[in-house]
Amino acid sequence: MAKKLGKKARKFAHKNLQSVAKRNRKLRSQFVRRPRRGSNGQVNELPGDADERMPQRANDSVMNDGEVASLVDGLEFPEDEIELNSDISDSDGYLSEDPDCLYYSDSEGSNVINDCVVQDGLDGHNDEMNIEIKKQKKKLKKLLDKDPEFGNFLEKWQSELESYRSTEDSDEEDMDCNDIDSNDKNPPNDKILTRTTINEWCQLVAKEPKAPSLRSLLNAYRDACRFGVHSRSPSVQRIQSTEVFYHIISFVLSEADNIFRALLEIPDNVNKGKIMNLRSSKKWQTIEPLIKSYLQNSLGLLNQLTDNQILAFVLTRLRASAVLFSAYPSTSRRLLKILIHLWASGDHNLSLSSFLMIREVASLLPECLDLCLNKSYNTYIATSKLVNDRNIKHIDFLMDCLVELYSLDVQKSCERATSSIGQLNAILRQASKTKVKEDLRKIDNWQYINCVNLWVRFLCCNYKDYNLHPLLPSVVQIIRGVAHLFPGTHYIPMRLRLVQMLNELSSCSQMFFPIPSLLFDCLEFRDTSQAEQGQKIKVNFSSLLKVPKNLLKSRHFHEECVLSSIDILSTHFAQWSYHVSFPEVATIPLILLKRLHEQTTIESLRRSVKRLLDQVYEHKIFVERKREGVSFSPNDKTSVESFVQDLQAEKSSGKVVFSTVLRSSAKKIGR
Amino acid sequence: MGKSSKKKNKVILPPQLPPDVEDDEVVVSDEDVEFFRGNEGHARALVRLDRKSIDSYVTRVADHDEDEVERLYEERERRRKAAEALKPKKEPEDLEVDRVDALPVKTLQGELVFNTAKKARYDDSSSGVKSKSEDKGVDAKQATQKEWKAKFKKEKGDSKLQNVHAQTEAPNGKLQSKVLEEVKEELSAEELFEKKKARLAEIGMSMLENPESNIRSLNDMLIICNDKDQKVVKLGLMSLLAVFRDIIPSYRIRQLTEKELTVEVSKDVKKMRYYEYTLLRAYKAYLQKLISLEKKSHFYTVAARCMCTLLDTAPHFNFRESILASVVRNLSSPDDAVRKMCCETVRSLFVNEGKHRGEATIEAVRLIADHVKLNDRQLHPDSIEVLLSLRFDEDLGKDETEVEKGKPKKNKRRQNQEVPKQLPMSDKKKTKRELISKARKEVDAELRAVSFTLDPKEKRSIQKETLAALFETYFRILKHSMSTSNSRGKAINVSSDVSHPLLAPCLEGLGKFSHLIDLGFMGELIACLKKLSGYSDHQFKILPDNTLSVSERLQCCIVAFKVWRSNLEALNVDLQDFFVQLFNLILEYRPERDHGEVLADALKTLLWEGKNQDMIRAAAFIKRLATFALSFGSAEAIAALITLKHLLLKNSKCRNMLENDSSGGSLSCLVAKYDPEAKDPYLSGALASVLWELSLLQKHYDASVSSMASNILSMANLNPTQNPVPISNANPLEAYKDLSMELELSKPVNKMLPPNCKKRRGKEFVSLSSDVLESSDFRADGDELKDKLKNHFAVLRGISENERLRAELNHTLSSINLYKEYKKQKKNAKSKASRKKIASALSCCV
Repeated sequence: MAKKLGKKARKFAHKNLQSVAKRNRKLRSQFVRRPRRGSNGQVNELPGDADERMPQRANDSVMNDGEVASLVDGLEFPEDEIELNSDISDSDGYLSEDPDCLYYSDSEGSNVINDCVVQDGLDGHNDEMNIEIKKQKKKLKKLLDKDPEFGNFLEKWQSELESYRSTEDSDEEDMDCNDIDSNDKNPPNDKILTRTTINEWCQLVAKEPKAPSLRSLLNAYRDACRFGVHSRSPSVQRIQSTEVFYHIISFVLSEADNIFRALLEIPDNVNKGKIMNLRSSKKWQTIEPLIKSYLQNSLGLLNQLTDNQILAFVLTRLRASAVLFSAYPSTSRRLLKILIHLWASGDHNLSLSSFLMIREVASLLPECLDLCLNKSYNTYIATSKLVNDRNIKHIDFLMDCLVELYSLDVQKSCERATSSIGQLNAILRQASKTKVKEDLRKIDNWQYINCVNLWVRFLCCNYKDYNLHPLLPSVVQIIRGVAHLFPGTHYIPMRLRLVQMLNELSSCSQMFFPIPSLLFDCLEFRDTSQAEQGQKIKVNFSSLLKVPKNLLKSRHFHEECVLSSIDILSTHFAQWSYHVSFPEVATIPLILLKRLHEQTTIESLRRSVKRLLDQVYEHKIFVERKREGVSFSPNDKTSVESFVQDLQAEKSSGKVVFSTVLRSSAKKIGR
Repeated sequence: MGKSSKKKNKVILPPQLPPDVEDDEVVVSDEDVEFFRGNEGHARALVRLDRKSIDSYVTRVADHDEDEVERLYEERERRRKAAEALKPKKEPEDLEVDRVDALPVKTLQGELVFNTAKKARYDDSSSGVKSKSEDKGVDAKQATQKEWKAKFKKEKGDSKLQNVHAQTEAPNGKLQSKVLEEVKEELSAEELFEKKKARLAEIGMSMLENPESNIRSLNDMLIICNDKDQKVVKLGLMSLLAVFRDIIPSYRIRQLTEKELTVEVSKDVKKMRYYEYTLLRAYKAYLQKLISLEKKSHFYTVAARCMCTLLDTAPHFNFRESILASVVRNLSSPDDAVRKMCCETVRSLFVNEGKHRGEATIEAVRLIADHVKLNDRQLHPDSIEVLLSLRFDEDLGKDETEVEKGKPKKNKRRQNQEVPKQLPMSDKKKTKRELISKARKEVDAELRAVSFTLDPKEKRSIQKETLAALFETYFRILKHSMSTSNSRGKAINVSSDVSHPLLAPCLEGLGKFSHLIDLGFMGELIACLKKLSGYSDHQFKILPDNTLSVSERLQCCIVAFKVWRSNLEALNVDLQDFFVQLFNLILEYRPERDHGEVLADALKTLLWEGKNQDMIRAAAFIKRLATFALSFGSAEAIAALITLKHLLLKNSKCRNMLENDSSGGSLSCLVAKYDPEAKDPYLSGALASVLWELSLLQKHYDASVSSMASNILSMANLNPTQNPVPISNANPLEAYKDLSMELELSKPVNKMLPPNCKKRRGKEFVSLSSDVLESSDFRADGDELKDKLKNHFAVLRGISENERLRAELNHTLSSINLYKEYKKQKKNAKSKASRKKIASALSCCV
């Protein structure tokens, strides 16, 4: 009765209470994860690799759960959480097996148990428990001996308990969703899988893909994938050796794609349309359940695994079959969610392989692109909330990945870019209007800056190939506006970042930006004498937006300011180095640099400033000399252009002028 | 007060009805207690009286006629109704908001009292008829208090009541005072506060209703202001402020002379004099209170606000000087709110001169001057900035000579009214006329003293004095800046706020009132400005110890030009040096540090508005501005380009710079080679240069800048008399403001349409570098992978094993536990229900 009621209620909830369902799902995913993380605490002897990774993962998910919700400025795109679970609904991918398929008993049977006893931290605990159980059982037996009537009583109670629990269980299980399913209902195949069995199957399948043992093998794969999900599931009994486990997984992962392709008789470069066409064919009907089982269980495996390397391996293998996901939209959606989560995680290799998979899926399945863009963007925004020395590279990588994704379909991405830039602009305007602390804080954070940076990079990558003119002015306005809103030495790192973006934009659009005006206060001489005695604190501008007060007067900060701005300035110079008016471009910055050179007491600064000065001077004279030889006037555009090209040709290799400076200062900055 | 009312011989208050209050609601105010302490005798008397009156009520002994009692009942009913009617409209709780004209008041009985004054009048009339014994105290509030007091024991002895019941014996006065003290302790501070608030409001109301008769209540309010509770004091101050604001007459109260005092006057006049005297005395006390409280940080804001409001509403009234002094002192207060308030007040003082005939203006300006002098010019700029809102008649400065002739041009209308009267007639009856005119003059003088019309002559003299004080202040600041600028430290970018906080507003003021400066000063002023702007005899070198900021120096240049121009350029001063300064300052400009508007203004004043420039100088500026535009933001760039264009238009010969004429053209100049860093425009050799910058500026990201550059370049193809199509006729300053970031951000967002990019990209990677991608083909080598998978398996297995074992253990344990239950059950009757319960309980623990 209770069960029925529960089902009804669930149906109702599913229909009418989407948000509840959503929350349930969220909770569940936490549930599924937590125990494993918890277990990690007990298992102290876990391989170091996994240990290292755990905290980071935990970090990530905590951030996703908690902070995404509290995003201040709503930079995120709205996500459509509603999902159709139709095609993975009821079946769990269990395949009925061909009775012909033989099970072999393992020859080295007795060893089986032993070989799985790797250094398992739980074992000690388990042993203790075993002893305890024995002790208690003995006690119970004594009692039973003493009072045989108690036996009856106990039996009665046990049967009662059983029935009670079973109802409760099924309730729980149903609640427990589609992931961990009710395989109790299927005729469970609890024959133990031995190594020889698996070996035999593998050989059979390798020889002849159509062999019935494929089914059994996939079933075994299924059990391996959900191994440990449920303590009472038969999989635990079925797989008793690590060897077997490893074999099943590695064989299926590495061969499945080939097998399916052979079965479906499709070539390597098949696209989604063809798969859809195949769906009606008879061949598909027979093989479809196998594919479905494989894909679903692989997803389950992804959810289960905690080790970066294995995950990366699974992803690489799975990428080959990406096209198969096109037949199952909601499975692929689930896949994307997992992938994006993995993508944002700290490990570079894993991140990269998940990104490649995402890109593969996104380009193969256009209908997933939206989800993909939204989700990955939001994840990026959430991840980039905190930037420190360690994760700069990662965030940079994420940004590049995102640009890749957004470049897949520029038309679609442009709409997103437009709306996002509009948001950024609105926040900026609000802040500049009110100048309230809260509003300013919406800009003075990494999310905002990283978001601007993302669009700048997107523009840069696609400016040449697409008509992105309308976006440029607003992006430039945002950059200038932010730089204007946050004057003062505190914000030099942030400003330098913005100026760098301007440089990027300038080089992609071939427009002139008066970069020096934003760098002047970095090039001013500052008296830093009193900081000499202070401890040397490393200032890394790339992971800072605002410099802490105690560093403001430090020598190191000053050095860093000058070097970074020299860096940016030389990029600016390099861009216009062959223009007729290069001498004029350099005039005012040169005056400042000269003054700085005269005044500064810091030897390292003096040297790098001097180097830049010399080079610019030299080049300036060069251009001036060339200029004297020409006869066209400034309003002759074509001649001006050709002048640039002539000079470039003459100086052979493009923009090498200030590269030495760039490299040397880059070394110092550690970029 | 009790005494005064006694003197008035009012009738005795009759015993009253018991108020409808619960005993525990009874409160006794501090004052009451104090009164008790001070007047033991009264207390004793009170005890007697209470006995009696209470007896009379409790026992219902009708020792007063029924009618009286009934009337009182009626009256109470009426009052309650009135209160009820008002209740929903206003809560006494929001006194904070509208304390000033708080209308309804909560009495001690917890009733809302609104029309107290009405009641007072009612009482008055009744006493006037002498029909009854109803006394009229000064205010209704007191009446209600008495009403209540009379009923209960702990009461202030009202002298009148004492008289009535003096005969009754006083057996145990000491006991009473003990009770009193106990009660007092029970009083919570909040109740006290509420009570005082109510009392304040009540007095305030009555004051506003009828100031003449209630004028003495001012003293009561002043006393409340001495309260220990700071909140009460604040409330008191604010209520007094409200009252004063309302009742201060529109004339100044003059001290009576001895003679006047001796003269017998009518009753009305006497009353009036008494009223004025009381008001004045209270006002004085109030001001003294404010001035003393101002020094306490806690009351600072309140006191300052009170004074500002008073000054604003009654600048004509007595004691203005002391308020003004205080307000001016607060002009440079560190407290932002107070400073703003004071500035506003002084500004409104300057603007609304009609209120005080300009006398306050001159006083304020003088005070500010003294203030500046005293504080050694280290004040907040605001204190000088207020002077900018001074207003002078346009002709004040120019007509100086004409003033002597007594022919003021302003206020013609008024002049027509008054001048004829004063015209002396050369007549026979001269003496008589003289007499008449003398008398008339006296009358006029008095009339004027009362009314606010101002003799134009007088006005002029006041304005002149004001002006003198103003310029005195300005010159003092200038001189001071000059003397210290050389002795200041060597730091290069000393910000203006630190060292010369007053210079910027001072220069602004000089610019604004430049047309009023006496010609005599002019030469000195220009010299002064020249020095301040950084010019020195050793040319070509910016003195390192000139530490005025760039903005300040630019402002000096601007002011010099304004002064020069507003005096019809009659002044024979060499302004060349200022051009040199500007020429150099352009290079010193830094966008965030200095104010771009000042630079744009300087460009506008010196170059854009100027007449024909020297060709060489113009060329130097043109080249420099073009270079400048390359390195600075779009707003600065556009200002520079507009100026540049203007210069090119005016100096058609400079258009040669637009063309690349390798020989430097026919225009030979001293210096053949252009020196971009030249300090002297004449030596820069700019005429020989070509404006290459413009070709790059055409690529400027800002459309307005690039189009302006193209526009200028198009001039090259026109002959010298032709001008290009004007694309904007804004001056540099306007153009600057138009492009400045603030404005740009406040402009409405133009709807961005997503660009149309139909093309689809292939599968190549755009932003990720190839070596990153290559590393993706990583594959864990077999063994490692195997190990990891094995580990994974082992962990999972361990966990599930653990789970299983735990379940088993729990099961066994609970079985053992069950044994106890089983035993118990065996003993007890075996009821199904209990078994079930156990079962479920056990299953829970499994």
